[in-house]
Amino acid sequence: MVMMNKTMNVARYEYLHHVGNKRFWLSLIAVPLGFVLIFVVSVVLSFLSFDTRPVGIVDQGNLIQIEPDNSEKSTIFDFQILLNLYPDEGTARTAAAAGEIQGFAILPEDYTSRFHLTYWTDKQPGSDVQSAITNFISQNLLLAENTDSATFARITEGSKISLQSLDGSQTSDGTGWHRIVVPVVIGMLNFIVVMSSGGYLLKALVEEKENRTIEIMLTSVPSRDIMAGKIVGNLGVGLTQIAVWVLLLGIAGFIFRSRLGLLADISLPFSYLAISLALMILSFLFTAALMATIGAAMTSTEESQGVIGLMVLPMMFPFYFFTVFLNNPNGILARILSFIPLSAPLALSLRMAFTSVSPLEIGLVFVFIITFTLLMFWLAGVVFKRGMLQYSKRLSFKEIFNKETRNA
Amino acid sequence: MSTIIVDKIAKSFGATKAVQDVSFEVRPGEIFGLLGPNGSGKTTSIRVILDIYQADSGSVTILGGPMTNEKLNHIGYIPEERGLYQDVPIERCLTYLASLKGLTEDQIKERLPKYLAKFDLTDHAKKKAKELSKGMQQKAQLIAALIHDPEIIIIDEPFSALDPVNTQLVKDLLIEQRNGGKTIVMCTHQMNQVEQLCDRLVLIDHGQVLLQGELSEIRDQFRTNEVIIEALNPLPEQLNGVSRIEKLNDAYRLTPQAGISAHDLLNELVAQGIELNSFEVAVPTLDEIFIRVVKEGNGNDE
Repeated sequence: MVMMNKTMNVARYEYLHHVGNKRFWLSLIAVPLGFVLIFVVSVVLSFLSFDTRPVGIVDQGNLIQIEPDNSEKSTIFDFQILLNLYPDEGTARTAAAAGEIQGFAILPEDYTSRFHLTYWTDKQPGSDVQSAITNFISQNLLLAENTDSATFARITEGSKISLQSLDGSQTSDGTGWHRIVVPVVIGMLNFIVVMSSGGYLLKALVEEKENRTIEIMLTSVPSRDIMAGKIVGNLGVGLTQIAVWVLLLGIAGFIFRSRLGLLADISLPFSYLAISLALMILSFLFTAALMATIGAAMTSTEESQGVIGLMVLPMMFPFYFFTVFLNNPNGILARILSFIPLSAPLALSLRMAFTSVSPLEIGLVFVFIITFTLLMFWLAGVVFKRGMLQYSKRLSFKEIFNKETRNA
Repeated sequence: MSTIIVDKIAKSFGATKAVQDVSFEVRPGEIFGLLGPNGSGKTTSIRVILDIYQADSGSVTILGGPMTNEKLNHIGYIPEERGLYQDVPIERCLTYLASLKGLTEDQIKERLPKYLAKFDLTDHAKKKAKELSKGMQQKAQLIAALIHDPEIIIIDEPFSALDPVNTQLVKDLLIEQRNGGKTIVMCTHQMNQVEQLCDRLVLIDHGQVLLQGELSEIRDQFRTNEVIIEALNPLPEQLNGVSRIEKLNDAYRLTPQAGISAHDLLNELVAQGIELNSFEVAVPTLDEIFIRVVKEGNGNDE
């Protein structure tokens, strides 16, 4: 009971030491602020580069029966292409030369036989321009066939396709942009949380070794309790990061709820979230043990930073091979990365989003990662006890696995 | 019953034998000196006592049995290389370290201000360790070792980085702790401090015990019949019964021949008409004993 209290004292100190630090909050706010800034800058830049001038239509085939609907104005979130009708090519050309319109399309007399038109412009039109023209023409052609505007609207909206896995375990609405975005966001969150809180752990261990506090601690608390306290404390730091970000997302979602109707499409199964969170925690525990191993073996903060760089690589593998996951989520590479503790959270999240992963395989992934994590904790214990009091020189692999030195 | 019994402990790191067959006992309420040159095995011995290292062989009995997690709360330890969080205010750092020794928040709130005041650190409590002088850090370290009122205090080089005033403060504190019944194990190279403070000592080198016992016994063991005199007139080149005359700053050291006592020497000096300012039997300093024992590697049959 006393030792449990001491473990919790270590955990509380680690947690408050980081969470009570101004730098923690600055970096916590800086990450979402950075994303928001990138989003705002890209939206503003695309809005500024958007050509708001209308597009001209010259109807030589007498196909246009209704006036274009130019009632909606462009906003920063919703760009509208306005269409102006011109009686002949000369008028349209004069308007284009005067800069009143960005270009004009000529519907030839034989349009209904060839369905080919020419768009006159000095710059490459965007897909929104082409869509506005073809939609307007389609609407008029359908009206000629006595199709009312409501039916037209439904036809242009297209079909809603639902996807169902063969075993019936997973469904999707098919349009699912969030099937990509959500696992990527989970992967990014995992990466940031694991690396930052794991980084705090490594920093704390190396600093305690550098300033010799560890020797005082080892004469107060057994090494395994120190490790447990530090891991719990830093896991709390990571979870606080997630909680704050989720809270900020919630506040942003509430403020911009009228603009984010598309978020209503997102419906994530509980099992998906539960598995992702469990994998994230396991990944953190593995990383924490790995960081503790590195921290105990190294002699300075600078030395340990170099090793962290190597750990980033496997975590980012699923991002590097994103198209492989998209095209073949049950392929060998995607499966291998699902079984590696550092890459598993993102790899399995992506696969579960893109395809059906059998419960047996998910179970095997967990067994593998738990086993790896336990082995890493064992190694961390060995290295911690042997290396934390070796101040002047880095612990070598030979020393770690040498039986004579291991019982230090 | 001894507070600490170290019985034939041995500890190797690879091919290096850090400690071999080391045995000593520390009695309750004494200041015990653990002496030895750098790399002699002192720190390894302490780490084995504290159960940071497991001995390859031998055993340590502490407070009547093997070390337990609970017993850690009864030990105060200051390692040779001081350990304080550099970027944390010392008040918070000491509160944390005290909590790891099992003190409750209320106990810490009650005791810490008293210790800070005693060590003249109250005004510096909110400062980070890195903002304090080495002497102040040393005092903060002492608070960390004492605040939980330990039965055993193990302290490595307690006087390093301290000025004379603070050295005296620490000496008084160690004596006060001993008088309060605490057992103190002190590692130091400052032999004059050992002479003033320690009741008993052990000297180890190359991981082996070279010498141990009570300070007075050890002095007697290395005592010679040499005398130191201050003479008002020059000494002749030879004196009867004297094998060697060594000129010191303002004095002479006379080494008598075998069978010649200090009294015989005094008679000879008077007979030679030498006027004396002082005449004293030379007692070897601990420094001299330390150097002699380590150099010669003798005394391990103690």
